[in-house]
Amino acid sequence: MMVPHPAVAEVAPFRAKRVVAPPASNATPDAQYWSMQMAAVSAQRDRASFMRIYDHFAPRLQRYLRNLGVAESLADELVQEALLTLWRKAGLFDPARASLATWLYRVARNLYIDQVRREPHWLPIQEGLDRLDLAESDRRDSAPESLIDQDALKQAIDRLPAVQAKLVRMCYLESKSHSEIARELDMPLGSVKSSLRRAFAKLQGSMGGAR
Amino acid sequence: MKPNHHLDDATLLSYSAGALPTALAVVAATHLERCAACRARLLDADRIGGVLMQQQRIDAPADDARAAMLALLDAEPATAPAAMPADLMEEADPDRLPAALQPWFGHSLRALRWKRVAPGVQRIRAGSIAGGELMLLRIAPGSKLPLHSHGGNELTVILDGAYDDMLGHFGPGDVADLDGQTQHQPVTSPGVPCICVAATDAPLKFSGWVARTLQPLFGF
Repeated sequence: MMVPHPAVAEVAPFRAKRVVAPPASNATPDAQYWSMQMAAVSAQRDRASFMRIYDHFAPRLQRYLRNLGVAESLADELVQEALLTLWRKAGLFDPARASLATWLYRVARNLYIDQVRREPHWLPIQEGLDRLDLAESDRRDSAPESLIDQDALKQAIDRLPAVQAKLVRMCYLESKSHSEIARELDMPLGSVKSSLRRAFAKLQGSMGGAR
Repeated sequence: MKPNHHLDDATLLSYSAGALPTALAVVAATHLERCAACRARLLDADRIGGVLMQQQRIDAPADDARAAMLALLDAEPATAPAAMPADLMEEADPDRLPAALQPWFGHSLRALRWKRVAPGVQRIRAGSIAGGELMLLRIAPGSKLPLHSHGGNELTVILDGAYDDMLGHFGPGDVADLDGQTQHQPVTSPGVPCICVAATDAPLKFSGWVARTLQPLFGF
């Protein structure tokens, strides 16, 4: 650790304002902490806030991309690109819609598909879908981010049965298609899909929406 | 008009993970463009990705990587960050192809150059696409397609017109998200031709000799 992480000192006064304040000591920064850092990046172009985001997320994005099989130097480039996108588009970040982790996941995933899988026009198409959601944000069907309990989602992921957990990880962290998973695990394609369906239903249930 | 038939949860998860084969992802995006409900479910799937990404075990960033990042910020113009564009709605144009299809088939429905492949059936195949097939189909009103099932996954989105099969009535924006278990025989509605975009990641399997003679229709 070369850089002292300022998160704990910064987060304490903010947590005190919450109705139910979890113990501030050794707490990991939560979605609202990152929204505040983003607000400072957007409104004041605050580099210290930006680097707090960088220190937390850059290594995680890097590991995510490396696990997808991206070569180290390209992964480094894509992480820089993702964080630079954050710096440029901080004003488009809407904490009511998605947490910073979700937002950065989307950015990194889109860069992966665009630059590693080299699918033509993926980026503008995804940005178009995002714009449609912004235009319709008054009638959203997903639970607003503020109502979503990240810890409950994490726990629900940890509680998935072994096979479902394995399939979800092969999907997200190895970017394997249903057919590739079926071949690799010698499972019928229909079983792969029904297991993923069951896993998604459980995880969605944990996100609080009564769906 | 809101679609009535939606993407399968397993398909959405794969789309969110960047793991859906290209041809299927193009058709999924075509449906997502028309379906706010599926976009909301996609956001839930992306939240799962966000949590998994954050759970990655990591080392602290190296000093030189931090310095490189700060140098990149120095090179950025000192302007305000991009803000929300004021007007986001595009005007509805029935001739405009969905954005996800434009890289493959152009912008205009009217300008498409259809090729007849069987009586009442016209088709346009997308150029080379990795690991699958992507095509537009234009089927005359009141036509009965041969009974077929799917070796792998098949996604179809209706752009215009409609068809019925054992799964129900499929109109504009609806997606049929089928796998190898499903055998179906779509019958197009009377009135206007049924125009749809279809993608597969494996060859179709037709039943019966009539179907086998029509196999070339789908090009496999």
